[in-house]
Amino acid sequence: MKDIRILLAGNPNVGKTTLFNSLCGVHQHTGNYPGVTVEIKEGKRQINDHSLFVSDLPGTYSLSAFTPDEQVARDALLTSNPDAVVQIVDATNIERNLFLTTQLMEIGLPMVIALNMSDLADEQKITIDAECLEKNLKIPVVRIVARNGEGIEKLVDTIIRVTEKKTPVDYKKIEYPHSVTTHIAEIGNYLSSHVSLLGKLSPHYAAIRLMEGDEHLEKMLHDQGLVIPFIDKCDPAERDGIAEDILLARYRTSEEVTTCAVKCSMGAVMPADLIDQVLTHRLFGIPIFLSCMWFAFQITFSASNPFLVGIEYLFGIFTEMMNGVEMDPFIRSFLADGVIGGVGSVLVFVPSIFVMFILLSILEDTGYLARAAFVMDRFMHSVGLHGKSFIPFLIGFGCNVPAIMATRTLQSKADRIITIITIPFMSCAARLPVYVLFAGVFFGAAAGNVIFFLYVLGIAVAIISAMIFRRFVFRDEPSPFIMELPPYRKPSGLAAAVHMWYKGKEYLKRAGIVIFGGVLVVWALATFPVGVEYGSVDSLAGILGQVFQPLFAPLGFNWQLVVGLIFGFVAKEVVVGSLGTLYGGEEMLESSLAADPTLSPVIALAYMVFVLLYFPCVAAFGVIRQELGNWKWTCIAVGWGILVAYIVAFITLHVGSLFIGA
Amino acid sequence: MVPLSLMKTGDKVVVRAIQGTGHLAKTLGQLGIIIGIELTIIQKAKESVIVRIGESRYALGAGAASMVLVEPQI
Repeated sequence: MKDIRILLAGNPNVGKTTLFNSLCGVHQHTGNYPGVTVEIKEGKRQINDHSLFVSDLPGTYSLSAFTPDEQVARDALLTSNPDAVVQIVDATNIERNLFLTTQLMEIGLPMVIALNMSDLADEQKITIDAECLEKNLKIPVVRIVARNGEGIEKLVDTIIRVTEKKTPVDYKKIEYPHSVTTHIAEIGNYLSSHVSLLGKLSPHYAAIRLMEGDEHLEKMLHDQGLVIPFIDKCDPAERDGIAEDILLARYRTSEEVTTCAVKCSMGAVMPADLIDQVLTHRLFGIPIFLSCMWFAFQITFSASNPFLVGIEYLFGIFTEMMNGVEMDPFIRSFLADGVIGGVGSVLVFVPSIFVMFILLSILEDTGYLARAAFVMDRFMHSVGLHGKSFIPFLIGFGCNVPAIMATRTLQSKADRIITIITIPFMSCAARLPVYVLFAGVFFGAAAGNVIFFLYVLGIAVAIISAMIFRRFVFRDEPSPFIMELPPYRKPSGLAAAVHMWYKGKEYLKRAGIVIFGGVLVVWALATFPVGVEYGSVDSLAGILGQVFQPLFAPLGFNWQLVVGLIFGFVAKEVVVGSLGTLYGGEEMLESSLAADPTLSPVIALAYMVFVLLYFPCVAAFGVIRQELGNWKWTCIAVGWGILVAYIVAFITLHVGSLFIGA
Repeated sequence: MVPLSLMKTGDKVVVRAIQGTGHLAKTLGQLGIIIGIELTIIQKAKESVIVRIGESRYALGAGAASMVLVEPQI
């Protein structure tokens, strides 16, 4: 004669009491337990020489025990030391049920899973691979239909079998982050010399519960005068983070097991939410987003083309008009090379920028961008960024300056610093002219794809940088992502136009002041000392370029390109402006570049990569300094950009030569 | 109670507790996600969810969704 004590645990409404009735041959009233009066029902079943004592626990979703009925269940599980725990799992809702399993497993008691309502699951076209479930969790799984007693005999046999096993249980391990595991071990170690205080809990499990934030246990240990390592030194925010890590690890486990063992068809869909469900779909969400972006860049490049031709034509007329007028050669050079050549080569790209702004604002107006942020959150989180960082990143495609300011919505300092460091890798509108110019000259029909590649590269570099900083500098996890999603709206043409004009105007203003100033300086450097051939090697610009050129020789840049980079510090538009000046004016720029023997498609590509990554511009630099609040991080941000630009451009040059040919 | 992140698309739930101290609860509270409010889950992508309260929609990342404990409405 042997007595076996088992506990029936499980979520509410999974059929625990029905199973209890089948097991014990009684007719307990089945239903929920409203209010605070909950009790554990006891029953008995005689099987051959065994007496099975069954306790039916109140339903519980977790062992965190926020409500009294959950506390009753928890106390029974943690203190009554049963011979086995039977968890009833609702086959129609496995994932949620398995979350409790991940908690029960850790108690370390012998366990059996009773997969109930398999018949309903079949009806709902949910197919469950019980063997796979069992293999994954390393817990015996028995299919039952508690209502008609199907599978009960097998369940009883399995229960007896697990209680007779002499080896300690070895269930699937939940994979906590490394730091959590370390602290669990540390606390567990400490507790193993105070086992008497822990009751039925193993030191390891007690450590997990403390890390999870079990205040009851923590208070009890403190009352005994213990000083718990790590826990007592943690601040509340840190504790929250750890509790969250542990929860997440559990969900991942339950999700992972569910994914492998369960195949189900889609549930009912509410028509009003259909768009959200498609756009934010776990599989389609990211491809949809990338396609949107790809189309946006294709449109940016092709739609602005007619405008480009028109503007170029106008500047051509200006140049011709000037040629017909008598004037001082010095002033002529200033107007032709400096003003028309430099500023003109920047202005021709204004249409591209306007088209990009209008597309971004349309996407924003429809409400899609917020969905995109949601779609990207999990991914952003996994690379160490915050989901909310995504919006500053998108703004960064327009201009890095407001993007860096937009990081103020991030609450954690680490999230902010990482986002600010990585924003400059988002290719802002000012960099577009450089791509349009070089991709157009050197890549012809493939220009759109090259430009798309550069944007993607910028994003990739940002991601890798974020991972590096998160991994080596800021060890904590990004804070939780919460965002309101605006309602979907039909984009209004007027609103988009206003938005575009507002953004485009900023660009024009810069083109008017900073860029104009920048190209004037370039013009002066290209002209002086008096008497040298304009923009030649002997000019100041030429000398300056040559001084720095050796630094860039490994990247294949000639001195003109280097001058472009130097002035690009002021603003990226000036890169094109100064090249326009040095290569004989806007009109000539493309043909001169194409004809320059020191240039090639792959060098052009490396140059575009370098321009993409090296330094945003003086304005962005100022904002970075302002937002980071100290020079240390500002210098790290800028230094990182330059370092990364050099390395990636170098790789581009050498790997690119393999494919494109030098 | 069950974490929001374990609910399914289409489920209706009532918020019963928000785990963690202060910060998260405050942020959620600002959006009207407070104890006792009813939510409809309109999307679930892995552990992230989109919930609807009336006509407002909120996206909660895995971390946040796992800290919101809810009770399914049957």
